[in-house]
Amino acid sequence: MTKGTFTFFVAPSVFIMLALMTLPLLASIILGMHYITFRNLDEPLWVGFQNYQQVLEDPEFWDSLEFTLLFIAATVPLRIALGLMFALLLDQIRRFRGVFIAAALVPFVMTPVVGTLIFRDMFDRGGPYWYWMQQLFEYRLFMNSTTVPLLIIFHSIWTATPFAMIVLFAGLQTLPQESLEAARVDGASWLRQLWHIAIPHLRSLFVFIALISIMDAYRVFDSVFVLTRQNPIFDAETIMYYNFQVAMNFGRLGKANAMSVLTVIGIFVVLIPFLAMTYREQMEEA
Amino acid sequence: MTRTENPLARFLIYIALALFTVYNILPFAWTIMSSIKLPKDANARIPRFTFSPTGENYAELWLNMRPEDFAPYGLALVVFIFLLGVVGFSANRIPAPNSLIYMGCILAGVLVAVALPEVVNTAEFYDYLINSVIVTIGTLCVSLTIGALAGYGLARFRHVVSVYILVIALAFRSLPSLALVLPFYYLGQLSGLYDTHILLIFCLVAVNQPFTIWMLRSFFMEIPIEIEEAAMIDGAGRLRSFISVIVPIMWPGIITTGLFTLLLAYNDFLLARILTQINWTLPVGIAQWTGGEDPGHVTLAAAASVSTTLPILVVIIFFQKYLIRGLASGAVKG
Repeated sequence: MTKGTFTFFVAPSVFIMLALMTLPLLASIILGMHYITFRNLDEPLWVGFQNYQQVLEDPEFWDSLEFTLLFIAATVPLRIALGLMFALLLDQIRRFRGVFIAAALVPFVMTPVVGTLIFRDMFDRGGPYWYWMQQLFEYRLFMNSTTVPLLIIFHSIWTATPFAMIVLFAGLQTLPQESLEAARVDGASWLRQLWHIAIPHLRSLFVFIALISIMDAYRVFDSVFVLTRQNPIFDAETIMYYNFQVAMNFGRLGKANAMSVLTVIGIFVVLIPFLAMTYREQMEEA
Repeated sequence: MTRTENPLARFLIYIALALFTVYNILPFAWTIMSSIKLPKDANARIPRFTFSPTGENYAELWLNMRPEDFAPYGLALVVFIFLLGVVGFSANRIPAPNSLIYMGCILAGVLVAVALPEVVNTAEFYDYLINSVIVTIGTLCVSLTIGALAGYGLARFRHVVSVYILVIALAFRSLPSLALVLPFYYLGQLSGLYDTHILLIFCLVAVNQPFTIWMLRSFFMEIPIEIEEAAMIDGAGRLRSFISVIVPIMWPGIITTGLFTLLLAYNDFLLARILTQINWTLPVGIAQWTGGEDPGHVTLAAAASVSTTLPILVVIIFFQKYLIRGLASGAVKG
């Protein structure tokens, strides 16, 4: 393929990404240096780095970052562990596989706002989970600043475990058969096969799921929006949600832009090793 | 790996998976029940699994004013949708070009959808559905067209430039969409494009593009280069051989990528919430029931949830194997 043809093929896509991703990002940095509210949209006021400074000095920003990091630390390992567990169980059986997988897709494909809404209904007063908890453990569930963050974590595991399960289950189907055969001849137990063959083989998939999960968990928004009922008393604001509030509820568009620039820097710091890895991989191929 | 032969262990495995399945689908099953309950049943302190069903909630959700003789209209609509499905899926057996049949089906569907509010007094929720459909289909068309071109170019042109584009795209994939939407909101306000389908479609296309080109590229990489070389020896240009030789064998890859695009566009809440004022899509429309405590809301929200979820669920179940293949291939990189 010549350079000219390549340009022709890639141009529309690259143009869209330049115009609608690169430019907005740069615009974000500059808008972040202005005082803008809904009232002075057409004549923003230049304030330099004041917004950035305000964000860094805002305790609620740090609270939301802390909650987001906590959320990542709590959900990502659980997603992988549960995904692996159910993938291994699924690998043990032949019948009804299709049914189990199809059912697992339901929470995964469901519109997140809807999924969270119906998930919340299960735990609300009069919902089945609420009722069963009360009957079985004599525990009356109230929505408060302990339970709402837990429900947010719980919900994220509900929606994301199927993804990890399907990816890992597919990985289990491609295990090197010769090694497994050799292990079986040597009388290696299932646990040893898992530890010495399956887990090393799945390593790249673990990295892949972890990355996707970290990226998704870092920008979790919809479920927080629904589960907190947009009520600040639950103390469960993620960084994206707080950012949204600063923009749409407080009307501080400049400050919100500054904050989103800072969050982008945050996610890039996490991603740099992975980007470098991909870069090396692709360079070798090219 | 070795399968256990112990019957008790096998029994326990099935039990665990069955419980997992119940856990996965119970909320949706419960919502379906709530959606056909009367408010007094839905708001009971003790969950009611037996009740007398009602279609009241759906009628209230979809219609502003109910004509006395709504039943025949509803029945006609259901039959019509069913017929469209039958014609669409048996297109191969009808002695006419497939593309003509599909076009006819789509045209008939669009005509009825547009004419429906003239015949019956539909509520706002119907408009949200139409907005969602327009935005989703628009995003699919634009995103897949330019994404397939770029994915193909990136798969075939082994050069540093390709690597740069791919790595930058991967970085973009991780961006929180709020970082992009706020400038858009601002520009939309200034340019007057705020609250239009076009702005939302192009925003979704952009947010989707990195993922789309990565995924399509990995599918194109699997196609041996000899195929289009043969076509080009026969005198076809790059674009000609791409359209007439590559795309036809790429359908599974395009469908798979399309499913993920569809999910993203249809399910998106944040972008649509910020970029629209009254032209809401379904997820934004539903969010109005997420805050309040009004007892009548529970059944309405349930009916809205089921109405929003069913279309996507039908599509996904129909194309399940493509979605699972896409997930399994690990092509969802980024």
